[in-house]
Amino acid sequence: MDRRKALKKAGLLAGATIAMPSLFSLLQSCKNETRLDWQPEFFTEDEAKTISALIDTILPTTDTPGGLDVKADMFIDKVVAQTYDAEGQQNMRNAIAEFNASCKEKYGAVFPELSDADKTAVLKEAEASSPKFNPGVWGTTVGDQQPVGFYRSMKSMAIWAYFTSEEMGENVLSYDPIPGTYEPCKPLSEVGNRWSL
Amino acid sequence: MANFNIDAKKDLTYDAIVVGSGISGGWAAKELCEKGLKTLVLERGPIVEHVVDYPTMNWDPWDMEYRGGLTPEEKKKHYKNIRSGWVGKDTEHFWADDEANPYTEEKPFLWLRGHQMGGKSLLWGKQTYRWSDLDFEANAKDGHGVDWPIRYKDIEPWYTYVEKFAGISGEALGLPQLPDSHFLPPMELNCVEKHVKERIEKNFEGRNMIIGRVAHLTQPHNGRGQCQNRNRCSRGCPYGAYFSSNAVTLPAANATGNLTIRPYSIVQEVIYDDAKGKATGVRIIDAETNEVIDYSSKIIFVNASALSTAHILMKSTSKRFENGLGNDSGELGHNLMDHTYRVGAIGKVDGFEDKYYKGRRPNGIYIPRYVNIDEKSKSDKFVRGFGFQGSGYRGGNPANIESFGADFKDSILKPGDWEFFITGFAECLPYHDNKISLNKDVLDKWGQPTLTIDAEFKENEKALNKQIQEDAVEMLETAGLKDVMGFDKEHPPGYGVHEMGTARMGRDPKTSVLNGFNQVHAAKNVFVTDGACMTSSSCVNPSLTYMALTARAADHAVSELKKFNI
Repeated sequence: MDRRKALKKAGLLAGATIAMPSLFSLLQSCKNETRLDWQPEFFTEDEAKTISALIDTILPTTDTPGGLDVKADMFIDKVVAQTYDAEGQQNMRNAIAEFNASCKEKYGAVFPELSDADKTAVLKEAEASSPKFNPGVWGTTVGDQQPVGFYRSMKSMAIWAYFTSEEMGENVLSYDPIPGTYEPCKPLSEVGNRWSL
Repeated sequence: MANFNIDAKKDLTYDAIVVGSGISGGWAAKELCEKGLKTLVLERGPIVEHVVDYPTMNWDPWDMEYRGGLTPEEKKKHYKNIRSGWVGKDTEHFWADDEANPYTEEKPFLWLRGHQMGGKSLLWGKQTYRWSDLDFEANAKDGHGVDWPIRYKDIEPWYTYVEKFAGISGEALGLPQLPDSHFLPPMELNCVEKHVKERIEKNFEGRNMIIGRVAHLTQPHNGRGQCQNRNRCSRGCPYGAYFSSNAVTLPAANATGNLTIRPYSIVQEVIYDDAKGKATGVRIIDAETNEVIDYSSKIIFVNASALSTAHILMKSTSKRFENGLGNDSGELGHNLMDHTYRVGAIGKVDGFEDKYYKGRRPNGIYIPRYVNIDEKSKSDKFVRGFGFQGSGYRGGNPANIESFGADFKDSILKPGDWEFFITGFAECLPYHDNKISLNKDVLDKWGQPTLTIDAEFKENEKALNKQIQEDAVEMLETAGLKDVMGFDKEHPPGYGVHEMGTARMGRDPKTSVLNGFNQVHAAKNVFVTDGACMTSSSCVNPSLTYMALTARAADHAVSELKKFNI
């Protein structure tokens, strides 16, 4: 099934805010430049390019904003800079270096410099080999959690940065800060996208 | 709401002093003030005025610089609290500072504290259940701990009394092991919860699944607004829709004109006068100026939370009480209990992909205790029992989906799989060797000895947890869930945040600290009505019982005062 059909089936084209690309994402359409247009707080330029390329491959711009449109890369940089301790920061640095070293070994270049096809191949491999997150109950994961590795944890972080951005939270996902009533069994078609809160 | 009177400078003498302003302290203040007593509430932390001091109540994730994440400095400040999984940027100001308030864990124990006006009444889970004679008779029947000096009939009118004022929503079931409260309309189950309920109730005789009974208003009540389903309770509720001291009891106490609340007051000790044979007041250290001040009163309610209350009594020594006020029995600080936590099962539910919900209901389901309630349900593996909480919701972790790119991104904009979990809360037995003690080697910044906590779950709790997990998996699998996973986080005590028992009630002064009206046996003008007073732990949430015991004890205190008995 193609994507638009899938969206129609899920009722996701019902709301104008969902189907319309935001002005913001149109302005951001030129994003494959090789130079960073922002100054990272923590990442080196090469690390930042790796994170940006990963986010863009996982959450590309379509007729809804992509991860880079909502500056998920800049946010992750800030989070690592300001909320990680020195050990966590070093682990992040090592993990990016290891990821790129593996890309170089198998495909001849660091991740952001690979062709789209090679990027896809790298991530397909990473998907297949990365353990998954256990479910969570009341704020912590349960069961015996295997380390998920750099790729899946970065994917998770990218999705978090994406979903908790103001643009996504207020304009793309379903936003209702004060629901008032609880409607326990509402047709999904009447809601549309997942709730942002 | 009128401002609180915090001027405790000119007047050092009161009719009553209440130590602590959390769930039980707030009730003590309200009852004593309403009965005409000039009452001083001593609060360790700052004033938190309803609504005015809820800085994060309307924040969306993007309003926070790190969307809820904490900086390394904030993590350090909460280096113990953070183990709970509850501490984020939106609530960190309501969790006590672990660095400034150290404690020593002889064995792992998580001590979560709320050092502000309202205490943990701002942070609690709001699950609100009556205890029954199954609980009050348990110790007497199986011989663990000492007998409660009260029975359900003694506390029943007081449950009704506090429920009518607090506002408890829920559904009546008529179960003897979980008596019905005086209810506001229940919240609703969603379609997956209804589905699981039907399957469990059909396949397991004697098991019920109901919507949680909670201290959330489902309709306007006593001037407070009803729940708006924002589920941002722990930041403080602008509608006053859940029960907290800040929104409910302290404003009522304040309205009488009899309340003075003194913030930043670290209680050093309850002053006991050997000559008069009774307590005469409370000595505090001003947390900001280190000034030591004595306040005097006719009666004293110590409601600092279970461990802190025992801590204060242990620090309150005199010729008469060399080992701590009221500690003739040697039981002060012992018999520490909590409920087991995060043991249960989780799974996915198919067939409701076209269904969703609107609103973030701050409540889940409850499965009342069904083991060891009668001969038929008797277990040969353990004594006592457990209940379950849980919920159904559209969750799923999009990062687990083995895909990426355009189709992936667009697919995760819609809600994920329906998941459903239940997690058990098991009763913990009162063990004498689960205890706290004064640690004079580690002093806090006010020079006060700190606490060493030495407690663990033992064989009976482990057997209960094993049964919880087995039953949880069996119920979810029988209900047709897929990918059912049992879990047991094997949390040490403290994670349930239901600390109880460190100054227990009992019939015999030789084996207990408090009598049947929560009076210290040998110092009858000192009352303890927080978790410290509990003689057993039941398996249901205890806060409602603290409320009822407090109102009952306050009534008794004033009646005894009038008779010049104390």
